[in-house]
Amino acid sequence: MTTLYFLDAAEFTGVSAVAAAQPGVRVERLRGYVTITSDGPLVIDRRATGVRHSVWYSALAAVGHGRVVQYDKDALKVEPDP
Amino acid sequence: MTSPTAQLRPPEADPGGTASHRVRGINHMAFPTFDPVGTIGFYRDVLGLPLVQTMQVKAWGPEYQRDFVHFFFDIGNADCLAFFYYFGQEPYRDENRPPLLDLGQHVALHVDTLADLDGFAKRIEDAGLRIDMRVMHETVESIYVRDPNDILIEIARPLRELTAADAVDAKVTAQALLDVLATDGEPTLDALWARKAELIAAQVPAGKGAP
Repeated sequence: MTTLYFLDAAEFTGVSAVAAAQPGVRVERLRGYVTITSDGPLVIDRRATGVRHSVWYSALAAVGHGRVVQYDKDALKVEPDP
Repeated sequence: MTSPTAQLRPPEADPGGTASHRVRGINHMAFPTFDPVGTIGFYRDVLGLPLVQTMQVKAWGPEYQRDFVHFFFDIGNADCLAFFYYFGQEPYRDENRPPLLDLGQHVALHVDTLADLDGFAKRIEDAGLRIDMRVMHETVESIYVRDPNDILIEIARPLRELTAADAVDAKVTAQALLDVLATDGEPTLDALWARKAELIAAQVPAGKGAP
């Protein structure tokens, strides 16, 4: 089970909203963070988020029990730890 | 190159704990210059920052000291940007400084509004100088220009105020970095992300969702 953490700030809402829209995820707000938890891989399409590059690359605050396998101009993909 | 200090800070806002210490901004930052003509032209005439103090000093102290002029430009808040011009000192420039370190070292001046930022962009361009970059960062919008000493000058305006959540995140990030650096493994951003998640989860019991 992987959890992505995004700072609950205006500039990152586009990213966390796209993450939260994925089927089967659990969304919570915890002490200033939006957390997205999933049993499977999480993929966020950068273009769908609408955020500029300078924000995209600093949007991910923390990763619990997962591994970032892609984080580039196209997407952020995180797979659960085995 | 975002400046976390370049934010609107109304008196009632204290997300980072300014009340916990007694520092009140920058008294002055000082740099050597081998081009006082260009430096005075850039800061006083192009940016419009007035000279508010100068000293002409006869060499004293260590044997390498030289006669010098020390001059201070007002950058607001009673803070100053200062330069030393040493008479007779040969110009020196480190040609081997890696680009990453060169970009990392810079001075960011704060302005309050978009109109202020646009005004500085116009002054710079009207003087025939080149704005290296204009970037919308996370919490500031910035323009970048090189001064005559090749110092990277950023001028930034806030996009939002800092919040308590920013301050909490700063503390958690710093602790995660210290923890990662204290381990035997290679320090990486992946390790930092993982440690941050542990620290956040340790402070927040599962299922207790409350903003």
